[in-house]
This record gives sequence, structure tokens and C-alpha cells, in this order.
Amino acid sequence: MFDTVKTSDLSHVGKNGHREDTIEKLTGEAMYVSDMLLPGMLHAQLKKSPHARAKIVKIDYSKAAALPGVRAIVTGDELDYRLGLYVVDKRILARGEVRHFGEAVVAVAADTAEQARAAVDAIEVEYEVLPPVLHHMDALKDDAPLVHPELGSYDYMAAAFTPKPGTNIANHTKLRKGDVDKAFAESEWIIEREYSCPSVQHVPMETHVAIVQWGKGDKVNIWSSAQSPFTVRNLFCHAFGLSHSQVRVQVPYVGGGFGGKAGIGIEPLCAVLSRKAGGRPVKFQASREEEFSLLPCRSALTYRIKTGVSATGKIVAQHMTMYWDSGAYADYAVNVTRASGFSASGPYEIPNAWLDAYTIYTNKPYGTAYRGFGHVEFHWAVERHMELVAQAIGMDPFVFRLKNALRPGSLTMTGEEITEHTGNVIKCLEEAAKAICYGNLTDEEKARQKKTGWKIGKGVAALQKAPAMPPFTATSVVLKMNEDGSVLVNLALTDYGQGTYTSVRQIVAERLGFPLEKIKVAFESDTDRDPYDWQTVASKGLLLSGNAAILAAEDLIKNAYAVAGEILHCNVCDLGHDGDKIFIKHHPKKSVSFASMAVGHALPNGNGVGGPLIGVGRYIAQGLSNLNKEDGQGNPAIDWTYGAHGIIVEVCEETGEFHVLKIASVYDVGRAIHPEIVRGQAIGGMLQGLGTAICEGYIYDQQGRLLNPSFTDNKIPTAKDLPLEIECFVVETPQVDGPYGARGVGEHSMISVAPALGNAIQKATGAEIMHMPMRFEDVWRALRHKDPIDNWITKSPIGSCRSAPEARPNG
Amino acid sequence: MVYEFRYLAPKSKAKLCAMLLEHAQDGKLLAGGTDLLPNIRNGVFRLKYVIDLKQLPGAASLKYSQQDGLILGPAVTINDVLRNRTARRLYPVLCDCAHELASHQIRNRATVAGNVANASPCSDMAPALLCLGATAVIRSATGQRTIPFTQFFAGVKKTVMLPGEFLEHIIIPPAASPAAGRYLKLKRIAGHDLGIVGVLGTLQDGKRRFAVSSAAPTPVLVENVAAGDDESTVVKKVLAAVSPISDVRSSKEYREHMIGVFVQRLLQEVQ
Repeated sequence: MFDTVKTSDLSHVGKNGHREDTIEKLTGEAMYVSDMLLPGMLHAQLKKSPHARAKIVKIDYSKAAALPGVRAIVTGDELDYRLGLYVVDKRILARGEVRHFGEAVVAVAADTAEQARAAVDAIEVEYEVLPPVLHHMDALKDDAPLVHPELGSYDYMAAAFTPKPGTNIANHTKLRKGDVDKAFAESEWIIEREYSCPSVQHVPMETHVAIVQWGKGDKVNIWSSAQSPFTVRNLFCHAFGLSHSQVRVQVPYVGGGFGGKAGIGIEPLCAVLSRKAGGRPVKFQASREEEFSLLPCRSALTYRIKTGVSATGKIVAQHMTMYWDSGAYADYAVNVTRASGFSASGPYEIPNAWLDAYTIYTNKPYGTAYRGFGHVEFHWAVERHMELVAQAIGMDPFVFRLKNALRPGSLTMTGEEITEHTGNVIKCLEEAAKAICYGNLTDEEKARQKKTGWKIGKGVAALQKAPAMPPFTATSVVLKMNEDGSVLVNLALTDYGQGTYTSVRQIVAERLGFPLEKIKVAFESDTDRDPYDWQTVASKGLLLSGNAAILAAEDLIKNAYAVAGEILHCNVCDLGHDGDKIFIKHHPKKSVSFASMAVGHALPNGNGVGGPLIGVGRYIAQGLSNLNKEDGQGNPAIDWTYGAHGIIVEVCEETGEFHVLKIASVYDVGRAIHPEIVRGQAIGGMLQGLGTAICEGYIYDQQGRLLNPSFTDNKIPTAKDLPLEIECFVVETPQVDGPYGARGVGEHSMISVAPALGNAIQKATGAEIMHMPMRFEDVWRALRHKDPIDNWITKSPIGSCRSAPEARPNG
Repeated sequence: MVYEFRYLAPKSKAKLCAMLLEHAQDGKLLAGGTDLLPNIRNGVFRLKYVIDLKQLPGAASLKYSQQDGLILGPAVTINDVLRNRTARRLYPVLCDCAHELASHQIRNRATVAGNVANASPCSDMAPALLCLGATAVIRSATGQRTIPFTQFFAGVKKTVMLPGEFLEHIIIPPAASPAAGRYLKLKRIAGHDLGIVGVLGTLQDGKRRFAVSSAAPTPVLVENVAAGDDESTVVKKVLAAVSPISDVRSSKEYREHMIGVFVQRLLQEVQ
């Protein structure tokens, strides 16, 4: 789909076109599911588990059922359905046993939310509390309680995953490349370390919300704040055994998702309540507190890396073990594990690699996709590790990175060859380093350091990510011409804030040769109206849907030309067009307007020609393969987006306090379709990444209760936490199969912010931090070589993620 | 949790006191509501009555006289103080603390009286009132009593006010010259956050005072600092007055360290 046309020669692509949703959003006009009320609608509330693991002995809802306004009460015992995309392991409501604090046990629908709450309070649940398994390393022990004793009976996507029944391992991903033992034996240095990060919450501005009406004849209507209407429909139909033609999913404006609204969520819960209430629509909107423990979070990770380096500073071998804490359900976490597994080295060439990545069940709120899909977590480890390895072998970390970075001819860990079109991580690193004057302090910085007494340090970190998706992922776009010759774009990729619709609009306008004003992308998605899209995830939307939009535009023009040829009595090959009309190139005055053909053309005598003009574009990922489950080899990546951050930080050694003075972020986006949107993604993701770097994380007590289940103690950064100076650049190495050469950048801005900060803090002060987040106290402790406060997951001794000793000479 | 309660808005102090007494068990006083309403929503309180004091005559009055000093009614918001020229000129320390409290939106609602009547250990206004020698005028159906803020706090979320009493005024005494000072508050993010620890250091007429928040069951005033004390003596005196704990925000060890650092910084900065 790549055009070699320069951006300066394009009319819309590469320009900062108006973003159509902004005014509606800023004025409050935009309609979200949160805003919606339907006639006869009921409100749902949930009785949730106060325990991490317990047997449900008895549920008594007789008092609740008698309360005014209560229309339906549902328990897990009456729901014999399982939900899941990759590992089908979750029920709509807990059945027999609760597996995490905050899990839904009983659901109530009533005329008002207050009545539903009163009913929930009147429900009595008797539990037999069982010992939970809380830390993912504890869960691997032989005598650990099993979170899912029936794992062996669950359905799962066998082509990609390997559950281990009889253990807490929901999936074991393997990767084997080259001869690791031999390469370690030949290494000059071997450095082994362990890194970790806790679970965090996505915090979308609009909490999860859905309205479902289970109508007559099992016709189900769903309105949901979801990322992927078709996947909601598909998984819903699988769970309930319904035909896809019976279920309609509509997604209006969505107030953020960040992966937390991928797959299926609370829709089945509303559906069973509606069914039981005789078909009245049921709405459930999660409270902010429910976002933290009822709904999924990001998995915690412990990552151990052992690296063998040659005398010249080239990595020759790497042994990697990832322990992913999926929490109580692993449906999505197994795919985070898989996608992280094949990318686990970061953008570096590892000739001999051995990786085991485990998805581990524990009795905690469960993990799912979160912007970066594992890459934020493991890049924390990889990019801190690169720094520490470089330090151990006495090499500058930046030089060490460049020496080992992927370049044309390199083989990735799965055996994919990097080409000159893949993207240029080296250039990203160099640009980021240049922007912060990496390697030395400016006179101004020296003066500042002298004045404040705070130490200034600079660090860089690189990043990579490919979309994590099935190798045959497909999408489609339909263009419909309106009576006036304007064009409506229908697609089921959702725009929940990332701005893709604006880019698709530019692409359609560019390819049609129409003014931007003539193109409208319908904001609401609807499975009954729109053509198929798999999911809005993985930073694949622009690439796949952008290509489909190009093909749809070409199809529309082709169809219009066919009609125009008939009307103008000429060869189609002699036709040309502008934004209003099609004309004969050698007789430009002979023309027919798009408007007169849009819904069928009437000849002067009244005869009809043509018919409504429609353009269809379909695009499916090409050349990808399932990875071999034994050695992880194959072709998983439709594209790799590379990037790098450079950070300047000042640190107070006495207290561990720090300020980020500057961050420079660079991404190889292939072509920036809309530079301001790229910048928006860059800054938004950077701040989200900074939040997880400086303060975010779930803290549990020893019974597995979440101690910070709200904004009181689970802080996220605000605009006040923005670095003093922000620079964003793009590198443009065109993606051959990307629309106008573009590739996705939605998730990448969040990746590697934390290690860049960690590296800068280390450069400034020497503090070696291996555990996210880096609160002021953590920096202070690291500077004094005190043990980190391991309050993230219980006080289990094995939960303390200690780093391995210093580098040791081999042998 | 949302549920029904009766909202009362008495227009006289006598009525308010009678209502407070009658509903001592099932009612709460509403001023700004920035603490009360989240607690109602979260089900911490199950109230039958919410008694709003904002209809009282003079509830929002913020007055200054050379004789009495600054007198704050119970509905004076944090931003009322920050917007008041006299407060800014004569009580900069009060404004420094006020500015550290939550976010601008919350400061529009939150009241100075509520911030101290709530008696949270992390009250941001308490340090200023303690260092400035403010007094609480407490009213009940039977009369009025005045106590200094040093005796106002009784424990975590507890004050010496009895059922049927409310904080009618806060009086900050006049001073020949305004107290110099600065409030250092350690937070997890740059914006709206509860303090991990907060230390206010003031210097007035040659006398140094420190007040510490988030480091003991109540905000703490340290007055026994002598002019000749060296830095480490001062730090020791302040640390002797507090008893920080370990919790999700910080360890005890780090809180103690930061209090020491803040005291040192304040000794240097507040001259």
C-alpha cells in the first residue's frame, strides 16, 4: 500500500486535519453509554467477594428479593457458561468458589440503582475461607493451592498456548534459538539479574459500562463501552450458544480503554439479568473502586535475564525467564505472555536465545491487555538490564545498545530477518540521545546542579513492539456515497480516543481526491451496520484499516467510473475526476457529477443507470504464521514499530526526590499520517508510562485484599507531573505494506519510559533500581543499599524480588 | 453508596445546636462536604440526617481586625482564604498551607473549619493554625468555649468537641509582624495528593515553631526549639514529638528521615 509520493505532494495525508470528535467531546455533546437511558431500563449492582479465595457455602437472597423495585437476582449456580478468547476460564459470576478479592458473586437488577444497592446489602453469602495463593512465585511451588483445579477441562486456543493442568501454569511459552550453552561457555562475561513490576490499573475516564436487552426470540441488543464490538458479539454468541444474527452490539463514543475494554467484559452479566427480568434492558456501570478489583488490571511480572557478552561487547547468549502473574483468570494474560515472549529481548539481536515465559494463576484480580501488551513491563527489565550489563563490562550503555541493536540483516528471536524497511531503531536511539545531549552536562545543567545540589543524570532506552494478533487478522471498510456526493465511511474499528478515525478520514480523502469536508467517518460502531473488524487493539488499527480504507476508496472510484463511462459513452480508461465530478480527460467539459450518480443516475429521458455507489475494502494480514510451540520460531509480526526515549532527571541524593527535566521521544512511524495525533499519542502514553514508573501499583495485604483500591492511594499522574520539557520526533522509514507507509504507534509511547528514567536516575546517583515503581522512597533506599520495601504483593519472603549479585567473570 | 437522608439547613445557631444534639448518633455536620460526601458514597457513614451549616448567618465570614486578628466562620473555604488580600499579606503561612491542600476544585468547596474538625492526621491547615497560635471557638446549646488548637485534636479523626458542639469560629491572633514560614509536603505525585509527611516551619518574633502532619495520630506542634539549638538538636526535638507509622504510602523509617530533612531545609530557608 506504500506510495513513494512525498508528504509535500499529498493533499491530506501528513497534514494536521481537523479532528471531528473534539468539539463534541469538549462540549459534552458526545453520547457515551454512561449517558444512555432506555425506556424500562433496570440498574444492576453486584455482591462481591471480600475474600481472595473461599468456598461459597450458601447464598441467601430471599430478603433482597422481597425488597421494592428488585426485578432479577442471579447467582453463579444458574449460569453454566464460560467466557474467554484464548483460555476459556472465566464464569459470569463466581460459582462454587471465589478466586479473587472483588469478584462478582451475586448480581441484582432493580428499578433504580439505590434499590439494587439495598438489595445487594440484604444478600447474605456464607463463605468458607480457604488459604489463597497470592504471589506468583509461591503459586509455582508443589504444595501451592490450585486456583483452577479443572484447568485440564477448559477450552483453549491450542495453536498458540500450552496450559499445564494440575499446576497453576495457565500457559508456558517457549523460545529456543541457536546453542545457548555453547555461547555462554564462550562468553567473556555473564550477567544475571531479576526485575519486577506490580499490577496496575488502566484508569479509563469512563468506567466499564454496558446496557443489554435480551429481547423476544433471544434477540439480544448490547450497547457497550467496548473496544471491539465484533469480538464482544463473537464471544457472547459462543458463550450463550446464540447465532451471530441474533446479537447486535453497538458502541458509541468510548471514554478510553487502554486494553481494559478489549475482548468481552460485563456484557454477559447484564444479559443474564435482562433475560431473568423478562427482557427489560439492564445497565451496569462500574464504580471507580470496581475498576480496581472487579475488572481486570495489568499483570505483574518477575523477569530474570542472564546475558552472555563477548569481549567486544556483543551479546552472544541470553537466557530469559518471565513469570507473569495473571491473577485469577488468564484468558488474556496468556496472550500477553506469548506476545512478550517473542519480543522479550527488546530491539536487540540475540544470536542464541532460550526463553521460558509462564502465565501463572494466583488469587488476585486478573490481568488483561494494557497499552503495550506486556512490553511496558518487560522493557523495564530489558532496558534496565542493558544499562547494568554495560556498566558491568565497562562500556557506555548507549554504545552497548547501538552495538547490539537490530539492523538490516539481523535475525529476531523468532528467526525473522530485519530489512531496511522494517524500521530503524538505531536512528531512534541516536535522535533521542542527541535531543538530551546524552553523555555530558551542558553549562546550564552544571550551573543548575551547583545551585540546587541535586544531581542531574541522563538516560536512554529503546523499545519495540509488533501487533499481537492472530496471523490471519482481517478488517474491512465500506464507503457509501450520499446524495450530494459526500461519503460516509463505515468501519468497526473503534476510535476510543486514539484518533484513528481522523487518520482514516484523511486516507479516504487522499485516495478519493476529495476535500476532507466531504468525508464523514461514522463514530458509532454497530455490528448490524458496519463491516467486520476483529478488535481495536495491538496498534494494528491504522495499518489494517488504513489499507482497507485505501482499497475501499479505489473500489468506490472504480464503481463510479463504470457508471460514468456508461453515461458519457466513453472508455473508462479515458476518465479522470476531481472532488465533484468525473470527466473525459481529452474532453474535460464532458463530465458527470458524483452527486448525480451517488444513488443512481437518471438519464434525460428518465431511464436509470448505475445505482447507489458503494466502495468495499478488505485487508488481511499477510505472511504471518503461528509460532512453533516448541521453539517459538515463526513470523508473528506484521510490522515492528521502534522507538526510544531520552530522559534528563535531577535527583536529590539525600531524599530520593527527583524531577524529570526533559523527555525526548522518537518513534519510527513509517509516515506520520497526522503529526499532531502522533504527538498526542506520544505525550499521552509517555505520561501514562511515567505514572507507572513513579507511583502506580496494587498493594495487597496478606489475605489478598487490595489495600489501595481507589484514587486515595492508587495515584495516577496529572498534567502537573509532565516533565518540564517534552520533545517528540518521528523517524520515517516507510512500511512497505503500511497505508502511505505508516505503522502504528498507539501503545509504543508508554513503553520504556520507566527504564529511561531508571537509567537516568542511576547515571545521576548510582542508584540501582530493579523494581517498579520508583517512588522517592525506593530511590532513597536504593542509594543506601537498603532492601526495597516489598509491599506490592503480601509480605511473602519469596515475594521479595531481590536482584542477583554483580556481574561475574565466566568460569 | 447512594441512599436517602434528610438534609437540614438551620438558619440559627440555636437550631443547629439542637439538631446536632438530637442527631448526634445518626447525623453529621456538612460544611464543604469534601470528606463527608465520599464517605457517604463509600458507605462509611449511614446517615439519616445531614446538617448543613452554610445557612447560618455569617458562616462564610472572613474578618480581620487589629485587635482580634483573623476570624474565620465555619463555611470559609480554602480558596476564600487564598483570595483574601489580608490573609495573604498578614498570614502568608496560612496561605502556604492552604495552597498545598488538594486541588483547586476541591479548595473551592473544602473549608478551613472542616479540614481541622475532621481531625485527619494529614490535615494541611492544622499545621498553620498550630504554629500561628490559633484558637477554636466551639459552640453548643448551652454556650461557647474557646480552646487553643494545641488542645483541639484528641486522636485520629477525633477532636475534643462533644456531641452537640460545632466549630463556630477559628481565630488567628494578630501579630506585630507576619510569621515567616514555609510548608513542605511530600507527595507521590505533583498534583492533588495526601501528604506522606508535611512539615511547616515558622519564625515569628525570633521564635521558631514546627508543625508536622501525617506523622502522628494528630497534627503535632513543636514549640520547644530554642534559638541556640543546632540543626541536629532541632531535628531530634521534632522527631521526639512525632510517631510515624508504616503504611501503603511510606515506611516509618522514610517518614522519619524526611521529617528530619524538611526540618533542616526549613531551618535554612525560613529566616
